[in-house]
Amino acid sequence: MLVAQDVHRHFEGMHAVDGVSLDVPRGQITGLIGPNGAGKSTFMAVVAGTLPASAGRIFFEGADITRLPAYRRARLGLVRTFQLPSEFARLTVLENLLVAAPHNRGDSLFGALMGRRYWREDEERLVTEARGLLKRFGMSAKESDYAGLMSGGQKRLIEIMRALMLHPRCLLLDEPMSGVHPRVVEQIRYYLQSLRAEGLTILMVEHELHLVEQLCDSVFVMAQGKLIGSGTMAGLRRQREIVDAYLVG
Amino acid sequence: MNTYYAANLLIYAGVDIIAVLALNLQFGVSGIVNFSFIVFQAAGAYAAAVLSMPPHTAADYSFQVYIGGYQLPFPIPWIGGALAGALLAIPVGLVVLRKLRSDYQAIALLVTSIIANTVINNARPFLNGAAGLALVPQPLQDQVDTNTDSYLYLYIALTAVCVGLVWFVAARIVNSPYGRTLRAMREHELAATALGKNPVALKMTMFIVGGAIAGLSGAILVGFLTVWAPSTWLYPETIILFAALIVGGRGNNLGAILGALLVPVGFEEVTRLMIRLNIGPPNLIPALEWVVIGLFILGFLWFRPEGVRPEQRHVFEGSPHPEIEDRVVAA
Repeated sequence: MLVAQDVHRHFEGMHAVDGVSLDVPRGQITGLIGPNGAGKSTFMAVVAGTLPASAGRIFFEGADITRLPAYRRARLGLVRTFQLPSEFARLTVLENLLVAAPHNRGDSLFGALMGRRYWREDEERLVTEARGLLKRFGMSAKESDYAGLMSGGQKRLIEIMRALMLHPRCLLLDEPMSGVHPRVVEQIRYYLQSLRAEGLTILMVEHELHLVEQLCDSVFVMAQGKLIGSGTMAGLRRQREIVDAYLVG
Repeated sequence: MNTYYAANLLIYAGVDIIAVLALNLQFGVSGIVNFSFIVFQAAGAYAAAVLSMPPHTAADYSFQVYIGGYQLPFPIPWIGGALAGALLAIPVGLVVLRKLRSDYQAIALLVTSIIANTVINNARPFLNGAAGLALVPQPLQDQVDTNTDSYLYLYIALTAVCVGLVWFVAARIVNSPYGRTLRAMREHELAATALGKNPVALKMTMFIVGGAIAGLSGAILVGFLTVWAPSTWLYPETIILFAALIVGGRGNNLGAILGALLVPVGFEEVTRLMIRLNIGPPNLIPALEWVVIGLFILGFLWFRPEGVRPEQRHVFEGSPHPEIEDRVVAA
């Protein structure tokens, strides 16, 4: 579904991503692991279009998206979350979700100037949809609170719900459990499993290897910008050079 | 208080309200730190002037040189002023808003303001240089005697209509899903991009809309003053408008209006009155005026960054928190 071919990203001579090729299968959770500084987040940013690739090609659903800007990749259904919380702090939790919703007639200058009657129907439909997600993720009571006042775990949930409002075909999650209370980690793990069961494709960077083992169907390992291995977590644990690279960095 | 003074105050209030509402759309809602805002007001004023003035070769006008001179009837000069502001926003926006980070955008726009003023100051054949334009015809002056109180009331009414129009546009934008997207971009541009929003298009649109409104405010002002020169649109004028928005409340149209009434109108009138009362040595009050405006900005950013009227929270019908007081019922 998502294919990277010999992707490079250089920063003034430093090879943050150095010839990574991988294939993310449809309907699975694929893990991307590696030590700090391995280039995982940079690779995710290149795939999402937030950073341009220095070389290589990226295909999504068979189409070459290498030159597409980030916002157009998102509109195709390739949606990312960030390593650090990226909520819209002075918008409410419900508004955070509504921002992401496509197909709202009021989300253009023309639509805005036409007035509420022009876009009310779309807005009501999307509010209902967003409230459904809030209920599913156990955050209904927070809908009118400012997103900036939520806990770290709740901000992670907002990011995931926000991405889901776009009806993504592939989610790129950058350390969705980092800095999150263990109870919320369990929540996120449960939601990701249920999203996979619904057919969503997920590529996920994660440091907690026991979670990767529980969640991911297959795993890619990066170190020093390169892909050094792939397979199941159990299989990777048996490869000495992978363990060394991960531990030594 | 005589009629002219009251009219002067009301028309300035109208112009400042229009300008601060435009700046609120750009800075308060969209997060564009437009330090060249006054240039767009000036563009509107110059455009309205040269559209309404006769050619510079005409009798009584030969003491100045300028391009244009089309003698077009009202309201074409005002529409032209708005168009000039919008058109100027396109090249400036394309240069500044596409590649630069927001802090560098602010610096680039400040530099643009200084360059524009310097160029107009020195390029005399274009818009009469530092001396500026004079004898700019007033709207409808060939149909109404402009030296009467009735004309002042008419001008106030025309200004009020424009304030109403700009309020309508600003309110529709701020309270719509589009306004929500602009606020999201202001809060976290990268995250908005990752949700399929095109920040360059959003910023360009608000830059052009704001430019048009700024241009209209300049057209209204020049029609009333009948003169316009580079000394009236130095870059600190933009800082006064920013002060108004910071004091009034960023992201809130009512806050923008309140700020316009408190800072450019109220505060400047108070200082003008103090000058008339000969308080302190000469030039003390004008010098202190800038100090106090600077302290206003610092004080509010430090103690009340959200301003007197903070941005309202958008709460939807059926919210589990109906007790929230600052709600705007949406959808």
